[in-house]
Amino acid sequence: MSARAVSSRLPFIGAAGRHNRVPSPYPWLMPVILVMGLFYLYPVIDVFRYAFTDLTLLGGEGHYTLSTFANVLTRPELVQIVWVTFIFTAGSVVGQQLIGLAMALVVVRAEKRHLFGTTILRTTALIAWVVPGIAGGIIWKMLFNEAPFGGLNSLLRVLGMAPVQWLSDPDVVMWSVVLSNIWRGTAFSMVVMYAALKAIDPSLYEAAEVDGANGRQKLFFVTLPQLRPAILVNMILITIQTLNTFDAIISLTGGGPGRATEVLSLYTFNVVFRNYDLAAGSVLSILMLVISLGLALVYASFLPKDEKA
Amino acid sequence: MKKSLLAALAAATALGCLPAAAEDLITSDRVGPSDAPKKMVFRMTGDGPSSTDPTWAAGYSKLYTDFINNHPGWQLELQMMTGDISQEQARMLEQAKAGHAPDCAAVDSFVLPLFKQAGVLKSLSPYFTKEEIDQLFPFVRDGVTGKDGQVYAWWWSTDLRVLYRNTEIVPNEPATWDDTKAAGLQSVEAGMEGILFNGSRYEGTAFDWLGNFWGQGGKLVDDAGKPIFADAANRDKFIKAVNYYRDLVESGAAPKRVTTIGSYDDLNAAAVAGTTALFVGGNWQYRQLQNSMDPDEFAKWSFSMLPGITADQRSTGTGGWTVAAFSSEPEKVEMCAALAREIYMGPANALQEQLPTRADLYDKYDVFKSEANQTFAKALKVGQARPGVLIYPEISNQIQIMMGKVLTGAAATDAAVDDAYKAALDAYARL
Repeated sequence: MSARAVSSRLPFIGAAGRHNRVPSPYPWLMPVILVMGLFYLYPVIDVFRYAFTDLTLLGGEGHYTLSTFANVLTRPELVQIVWVTFIFTAGSVVGQQLIGLAMALVVVRAEKRHLFGTTILRTTALIAWVVPGIAGGIIWKMLFNEAPFGGLNSLLRVLGMAPVQWLSDPDVVMWSVVLSNIWRGTAFSMVVMYAALKAIDPSLYEAAEVDGANGRQKLFFVTLPQLRPAILVNMILITIQTLNTFDAIISLTGGGPGRATEVLSLYTFNVVFRNYDLAAGSVLSILMLVISLGLALVYASFLPKDEKA
Repeated sequence: MKKSLLAALAAATALGCLPAAAEDLITSDRVGPSDAPKKMVFRMTGDGPSSTDPTWAAGYSKLYTDFINNHPGWQLELQMMTGDISQEQARMLEQAKAGHAPDCAAVDSFVLPLFKQAGVLKSLSPYFTKEEIDQLFPFVRDGVTGKDGQVYAWWWSTDLRVLYRNTEIVPNEPATWDDTKAAGLQSVEAGMEGILFNGSRYEGTAFDWLGNFWGQGGKLVDDAGKPIFADAANRDKFIKAVNYYRDLVESGAAPKRVTTIGSYDDLNAAAVAGTTALFVGGNWQYRQLQNSMDPDEFAKWSFSMLPGITADQRSTGTGGWTVAAFSSEPEKVEMCAALAREIYMGPANALQEQLPTRADLYDKYDVFKSEANQTFAKALKVGQARPGVLIYPEISNQIQIMMGKVLTGAAATDAAVDDAYKAALDAYARL
């Protein structure tokens, strides 16, 4: 198709088009810019604006001030909350990534061997993923219930084992919460890893076999290097998702006992919706944004250069 | 062909008319005819036709049907709140400030001051007589009245906390903290898990426990609404009340799992399952236990006032629900007041056996003449409502955090109380 033919089909080129100039992209980009600006950028700008005020949900005009930043960032509980968030995020991301990868490897291997049950395995994992966070929290609350009729402890008693203080022991409760989050999020990692495994060129495995590589060597020298971009992208996604998780925690522990499981997102929620402090909540939201962006940049720095482009 | 087409058209027309004729007056989200010219949006709790208790649901359906029949030309759009009341109320407050609140709504009495402060409520004074307002218990009347003397909500039910016990295992009423500890240990010896109470991050944790502080004469806030619960005059009382719960857990009279209990349903479940013989609960649980247990089993259960540090230093927290109007249309405000009056002020109290806020209603309805309700009414005399101040939600939040730290042994009582007090004062300074 000639350039003249193309230009005759483009409505906004006009005189420029007749001189074979590149058409303006803005008419095509405007809908996207408008939607992004209205539904994504405007709320973010508003959060930044609120952070520089002393606005509450209780009324009043509010005034512009820097004191909210100083007040929020020097709160004594913030250090513990960031630490709890780190443990929760790190535990969840590592667990979801490792188990998701293991499940994907099992599924791909089983498919190659035409074994029965691969679809059931994938579907079962995906069911956990589609369960809403609040419902997931309630399910695990029933399982972790420490009453004599609680789910997991009843099982332990049947097996002759001592019951565990899943939610009342401050040293155990965080791992109970991480476990529930791994259960919920692993399916996503499995799907990403499964897709990436399917995209690996089979000739690489054939070459490795010709070189006499065993299964373990194929995993470490072929599979994992090939999965590296997918693993890093997956980790960016699940890290951000985990940092924003509060629904499952609020229904499982409410952040307690004390502040033992109060992550940053839940703290932000509590500050806005229980303390009615809109400005402080905005500062905490910016803090979460900074942490998410920082971690994303760290992960991205490990991406192969051609993948970054 | 033309005949059959006409017949089909006639049949379709007739069928189309049928649903309108047989339309239910009550659906899950509407009361009244769907084509009624006037509509009021009412955001409500489970105290309505969608109640999970079939008896109450049927009773409310009748009350709502009668109500809508008394107000022809109206329909009610029902919006249900979730169980997370704090979040629901905060969201509604924000909606009200933005001008998007429902016309009429259930407002929890403990957050009513926030709505009054925000100036989003419409006065209901013109729709209630002075005699009706005067019949309200003083703490209720103070709670619903604004600085301008107008009534901004109708507080229709109140509740209180009591100590339930299985008399087969704990025959005598524990009147003091020491009695309670002994009774808890006695129940553990009988194979139970000890005394249960809310102890997790939940409003009930703070509210159910506060009676222990109030009973000693402790005060949460001063007249200006500033937290004073751990100042020189109150700190000792506060710490004693916290140590009472701590001692229950550390002595084994209460299980450590109380720090995970954040629902009155959990307490009911343990009582019905027969794993506890003693728990701190609300008066409304009496009927729930009766509905859930075999009559023989229920006959073993009784309740008494919350114990105190001494038998004559006792108190209990009283709460309840109000109905408030947000609409800027006077017609809808009047309709909202009518809803509060005709459904909730009396009939709903009798239906659910929720304690009325008007002294005269205890004589009007036979259900409140029962021994149990007379005992509840007696306990109301030492009842205390949460302070109607803006800082209360944060005080409650800090008590919940403090309680978790203390009961799990993660912090010393003194240090945890001082942290909670400082955090409450900091939050007060930001309001």
